[in-house]
Amino acid sequence: MRRLINQQPSVLNSLLLAALPFALVLLAYAVASEARLSINPDDKLLPDWSTIEAAIIRMGFVADLRTGNFLLLEDTMASLQRLAIGVAVATVIGGLIGILQGLIPYARAMLANFTSVVAMVPPLAILPILFITFGLGELSKVVLIVVGIVPFIVRDLALRTSELPHEELIKAQTLGASTWQIILRVVLPQMLPRLIDSVRLSLGAAWLYLIAAEAIAAENGLGYRIFLMRRYLAMDVILPYVFWITFLAFTLDFILRVFQRVTFRWMYRGQA
Amino acid sequence: MSSVSVENVWKTYGRQTVLERVSFEVAPKSFVALVGPSGCGKSTFLRMLLGDEVPSKGRILIDGEPLMAEPSPERGVVFQKYSVFPHLTCLQNVMLGLEFAGAPRLGILFGRKRREAKEISRDMLQCVGLGAAENKYPSELSGGMQQRLAIAQALVKKPKILLLDEPFGALDPGIRAGVHEVLLRLWHETGMTVFMVTHDLSEAFKLGTRVIAFDRRRTRPEEAEAYGATITFDLPVHHPIPKPADVVLKEVQPIELKAAV
Amino acid sequence: MKFFPKFAIAAMTALALVMSAPAQAAPKKEFKVAWSIYVGWMPWGYAQDHGIVKKWADKYGLKIEVVQFNDYIESINQYTAGSLDGVLSTNMDALAIPSVGGVDTTALIVGDYSNGNDAIILKDKKTLADIKGQKVNLVELSVSHYTLARALETVGLSEKDITVVNTSDADMEAAWKTPDVSAMVTWNPMVASILKDPRANSVFDSSSLPGEIQDCLVVNTDTLKDNPDFGKAMVGIWFETLALMQSGTPEAKAARESMAKASGTDLAGFEGQLKTTKMFWTPAEMVAFTGGDLVPAMDKVRNFLFTHGLLGNNAPSADVVGIEFADGKIIGDKANVKFRFNDDYMKLAADGKL
Repeated sequence: MRRLINQQPSVLNSLLLAALPFALVLLAYAVASEARLSINPDDKLLPDWSTIEAAIIRMGFVADLRTGNFLLLEDTMASLQRLAIGVAVATVIGGLIGILQGLIPYARAMLANFTSVVAMVPPLAILPILFITFGLGELSKVVLIVVGIVPFIVRDLALRTSELPHEELIKAQTLGASTWQIILRVVLPQMLPRLIDSVRLSLGAAWLYLIAAEAIAAENGLGYRIFLMRRYLAMDVILPYVFWITFLAFTLDFILRVFQRVTFRWMYRGQA
Repeated sequence: MSSVSVENVWKTYGRQTVLERVSFEVAPKSFVALVGPSGCGKSTFLRMLLGDEVPSKGRILIDGEPLMAEPSPERGVVFQKYSVFPHLTCLQNVMLGLEFAGAPRLGILFGRKRREAKEISRDMLQCVGLGAAENKYPSELSGGMQQRLAIAQALVKKPKILLLDEPFGALDPGIRAGVHEVLLRLWHETGMTVFMVTHDLSEAFKLGTRVIAFDRRRTRPEEAEAYGATITFDLPVHHPIPKPADVVLKEVQPIELKAAV
Repeated sequence: MKFFPKFAIAAMTALALVMSAPAQAAPKKEFKVAWSIYVGWMPWGYAQDHGIVKKWADKYGLKIEVVQFNDYIESINQYTAGSLDGVLSTNMDALAIPSVGGVDTTALIVGDYSNGNDAIILKDKKTLADIKGQKVNLVELSVSHYTLARALETVGLSEKDITVVNTSDADMEAAWKTPDVSAMVTWNPMVASILKDPRANSVFDSSSLPGEIQDCLVVNTDTLKDNPDFGKAMVGIWFETLALMQSGTPEAKAARESMAKASGTDLAGFEGQLKTTKMFWTPAEMVAFTGGDLVPAMDKVRNFLFTHGLLGNNAPSADVVGIEFADGKIIGDKANVKFRFNDDYMKLAADGKL
């Protein structure tokens, strides 16, 4: 009997094992749902598939009576817009500060401790200040996402920048580059793919802050809908929304990964 | 065609003395090989020539002028690793030095200037035998090709001095000979002064017109901190024409050489 | 691979057991009731902390725990999911969440009704009609929303004339201070605090809707049926605590002060909130209200819930859930009565038979 660490599952077994946890959760849900519904047919906590299906059709494919909008579409567009603006702004700010902090000793002396401290502040705890400064509208939602993920991006990028081989910076100087030219031609192009990694890692947090912001004050959005539905325990709507958010997050991550591979081929080309 | 004077250079880090009393003159168009055991300060000395480190005492002059305290285009460099930019193709790597000079704001050339820079860079790539690889990224090149590229990239700036920090240490012997040939040819054509740090004595004698060895004179543990390394021998090598590649010197260990001195 | 099927079955069973545990109706000895911060519910916290709960539980040989939830809706959801035997809730939320969710629920104690605790506040504007065209910050689908809908009717407006912005109750006060918030519907203690702003004008409050927004202790009907002692103990706890508050003794003052502190205000603030709350201080008052005609109030509430989709998305009319009143009268589906008023236990208290 070989050691466990040396045993490889076959392709088929790998697939089965990968599917197993999902199947288990679904099965457990089905059993529990069945059990609860047999006691109380109106139970809302674990609705059965037909109830969920009806909710999906209602939210996704039937125009809302009051507003005439398709709610799922409206919520998705509103949330994605906030997320996109927030993440884009955070990427630009975080990328710039991170590169400066990682490259310029004076910037590091000024910012390194500050960003480490700021990164520890839980943004949700200072929400009232954000509201009073940026209002309750779209701006404060975007700002919450920005405030939430910029410190991570800055620290990650500063670390990646400082990890650039010293030799490259020396070489650039012997080729006559100024600090500005080094940033533009040597550091920035090599940091862009790392920035995408950084953004991918902070997307989870960005979603969290988006949903938190929408829970606090909003007229639409995925987080808004979930927290509104929670008011009357409409799990038949909440569960599909949760799956939808998971799917969107997964898709965004996938798009970024493909974008990175296509755009920054130099990172992935192996030895000839 | 530059001369270099090294005048009583010391380098200390805190209480640790790394180099002491280093003085020598280098005539224009020399090929100086710096050898010595690891930790003897030969790379530190090269970094001082580069401007990456500053002497604690003494000074270094190029053509009678004090050295700038940071790296500059008059001194080209090739390191053992990380000498080329992984995000640029071969052609872009070579063009980069020309673009820095020609476009202070963006560091990117356009139009006629770009075409000219491309011409020069292509010629340079031809010189080092990478003409066919201009659109490849460094990660697609072998180690020897990467070092040729690094040489081409440095030489396109026409430096007065070329500094090589163990440039071929990671290469297979066969590949190394090919790169040696390229380097010697370019040295002859440009007439620049070359400093090369190497731990390989055969390489030092094969390429150098002068071999300078660094070592610590005092090796007792209680003295190791207070006394740094210095020049232990300085040997002119005469080979007016580049040696054919098939003449390979026997590997000589530094310890044997020291004994001989 | 032998290991996996066994593991799978074990894990599945465990998970299923954890997830499927609605309250089983059967005689039992241990009960858990949740309350959250609200002026009319503060006596529950006091009763738990000062041994009144334990005293009455012991009298009937029960174990009763009255726990505080920071999140009101979560406490109702937990009750609906079956992990609590009772919860402090408004009549509207009790109807919309547990009753619509198939949990037969009884209002055991109707402690008070809001008599000004819920208010519509406008910034700078002075009359309710000015609300037209504004964005209104409120907790959507809550009693604030109900108050707004009822208020709009009185000036011939509807929800189409305004834009509702769902806003968390925890952030109402901060929201009011932001420049882009001009209209708000919320409840006490936020109302009292916001009205301190000179630009804030209360243009409508729940004193115009007497008896419509009730604050109740609701319990699982089956649990109550199987455990009448639980009902008796809860009613006993409630009226003993109220009697203490009303006794005029130094102890009464101390009790009120402690409740004020627990709700994050001072004695004056707490008394102020009590003024906008119609408390039923004695069993007789409560019996008179609960036994009276609550049909119009409950009809308005269920219609609000129906038009906002809270009676279920397939509900053909507001009649889908039956509501039984203390006198036995039923509105809505008689075969699906899920919300009941019950004055039996308060009558026992009124008659001193606990």
